[in-house]
Amino acid sequence: MILLQSQSRYLLQILTNRVQNIDKGVELDCHWVEFDDVRYHIQASIKNPHLLHLSVSLPTPPPETEFSGGLPFGAIEAIKAAYGSVVHILDPPRDGFNLTVKLNLSKLPSLEEMKQNLLVKIASVREVVMGAPLRVILKRLASRSVPPNVGVLVPLLHRPNESFFIVPQIEKVTVVFPMRFNDSIDTVLAASFLQEFVEARRTAGLNNAPACLWSSSPPNELKEAPQHALSANAGFVSFVISTRHVEGKKLDKTVWSLSTFHAYVNYHVKCSEGFMHTRMRRRVESLIQALDRAKLDENGPASQSKSFKRLSIEESRGNSYS
Amino acid sequence: MDPSTSRPAVVIDNGTGYTKMGFAGNVEPFFNVPTVVALNDSFVTQPSRSSIKGSSSWLTQHSAGVMADLDFHIGEEAMSKSRSSGIYNLTHPIKHGQVENWDAMERFWQQCIYNYLRCDPEDHYFLLTESPLTAPETREYTGEIMFETFNVPGLYIAVQPVLALAAGYTTKKCEMTGVVVDVGDGATHVVPVAEGYVIGSSIKSIPISGKDVTYFIQQLMRERGEHIPPEDSLEVARKVKETFCYTCSDIVKEFNKHDKEPAKYIKQWKGIKPKTGAPYSCDVGYERFLGPEVFFNPEIYNRGFTTPLPVVIDKCIQSAPIDTRRALYKNIVLSGGSTMFKDFHRRLQREVKKIVGARVHASEAKFSNEVKAQPVEVNVVSHPIQKHAVWFGGSVLASTQEFFTACHTKAEYEEYGASICRTNPVFKGMY
Repeated sequence: MILLQSQSRYLLQILTNRVQNIDKGVELDCHWVEFDDVRYHIQASIKNPHLLHLSVSLPTPPPETEFSGGLPFGAIEAIKAAYGSVVHILDPPRDGFNLTVKLNLSKLPSLEEMKQNLLVKIASVREVVMGAPLRVILKRLASRSVPPNVGVLVPLLHRPNESFFIVPQIEKVTVVFPMRFNDSIDTVLAASFLQEFVEARRTAGLNNAPACLWSSSPPNELKEAPQHALSANAGFVSFVISTRHVEGKKLDKTVWSLSTFHAYVNYHVKCSEGFMHTRMRRRVESLIQALDRAKLDENGPASQSKSFKRLSIEESRGNSYS
Repeated sequence: MDPSTSRPAVVIDNGTGYTKMGFAGNVEPFFNVPTVVALNDSFVTQPSRSSIKGSSSWLTQHSAGVMADLDFHIGEEAMSKSRSSGIYNLTHPIKHGQVENWDAMERFWQQCIYNYLRCDPEDHYFLLTESPLTAPETREYTGEIMFETFNVPGLYIAVQPVLALAAGYTTKKCEMTGVVVDVGDGATHVVPVAEGYVIGSSIKSIPISGKDVTYFIQQLMRERGEHIPPEDSLEVARKVKETFCYTCSDIVKEFNKHDKEPAKYIKQWKGIKPKTGAPYSCDVGYERFLGPEVFFNPEIYNRGFTTPLPVVIDKCIQSAPIDTRRALYKNIVLSGGSTMFKDFHRRLQREVKKIVGARVHASEAKFSNEVKAQPVEVNVVSHPIQKHAVWFGGSVLASTQEFFTACHTKAEYEEYGASICRTNPVFKGMY
């Protein structure tokens, strides 16, 4: 697995199970947390097996991001556009959550393939909600319409109390991620991972990928950003997204990849640590083998130079009497 | 306050056959996947990294379309991948309840966390499980991986039978004394627990487990000449075990029943040949009750080990401290997937009762019936979540606030090193 998938595996499993055994509807009440502190809660009763209540809570937004009614701007429209009549937004949401929706499984399309696609889409609710503002901006880019706020810095929710920044321009959109890590080893690994990442972009095979830069100090685009957002211990990564990256179906993928960039780097840092451990274990094994080879044979000179002599029974008796 | 204590802890129960994982506070584990890893080992045989210049080595891999060190799968995916293509090696990281292959185990956890649970390990406390006879070194190694690789804020390594007892804890009263009969896929343990303390010297393990039931069924079906493609036979045997097997009360009567009414008792198994795709079907007959019978009459399967499970349980209780024995007989708890056969607990209870009854009778006869012993209550407890009892117990334990104070924390790890995992903070000095 190189990229994180956008649908929540567990949510998809619940939904698929539910749809397949709709007549055997059981009581359901589960809650779980995903990376970046996105919490889910799903509830269903035996009485109405078609109805599921799904609640999602988002990470605590930093002060600079624009939030309306607990959701990023454009989220409600995005949900309505993505799911149609299957999903009904409840207002107000459940206590402690930002969004509660009622899923009506009886309104799923009857065609098997479409049904499955919609279920996957529901399972990626996080992408729809959190990626909504980014999607709006990238859509404008795709349609080449002049954004109302050319060159103005837009902070967007990324992780708890952290945001990333977007500078929409006419032909391109610049996205800047301040990268923060808690652990000192992770920070070092992440910084070198990101430098390799930028290096990798320069190879011939990836000419069409978005241009990508890494710097340890805040780039020029972040001049107007609030001071607290500029403390990043693993540097700043910026991508330049142009129209060809957001055409048609690519849009969804771009939105997802950008909005989970930190999780992606974090995953790879952990993977490389695991890989290093594998190599360290192998090295230790080979060193131990070398040591074992260096051991002298049982019959070699080592056995002759014993440092003690075991007393025989007679001798020990003799000793004790004397 | 540490924000990670407000999030539910991750509970992963690594069994030999299956791994159960999920978040604390839920009733069922989210995923129940086979503990296997399919590795693409091609990067191991590649010339060493240092000989190639740093930037070109990943390039060769990238142009080949794989990142071999990231190209591995776990669980069902691993099984299907290794079946469909030859570049993957299937590894079982846990054998007989003990972790054997740490490389594979580390990758397995990595996939559990990132691909299945999709959580950030830095955000959650972790509860892992181990079998009762695990060496402290293994526990240290587990701690090292969890703290070094995944940077978990806190870790608790619980003993499986204690968790299985804790699973019964909520349904009735707080009974932390009992014998846990844990029959998993790879290991069977009979573990007496008194007031939450494992009586280490009385733990009995027997070399018959769920896997052996599968092998036995496979052998029976092969000997009868059922037409099952050989590459699929183990899988079919496993499915047959899971869907059709039950425990009988008397083996001879059961044979008669089957012979009289074959239509009622003989089931059909339908499958598709993996190579040609042609459908096939086979009969499932005596193995339905002979499979679980392996626990009660092991001599039908294995010449080397012939002590039936009820006798082992009795021996185990008899070797425990005398003042705990009555309480232990009263609460024999089943756990693990291989205790799920229909009526398994009834049969077990009857047989243990028989042994105890015989002993009481003999001792009464010795004193020529002058002294009457108080009757010994024998109870085999079975509950619906038995299959996931260990996981559920973990989920219950980890959803309490005290759990977070009982964990080894990252700060402690950094201060003292992996040796903190040797002791359990709840039962200090017990292990």
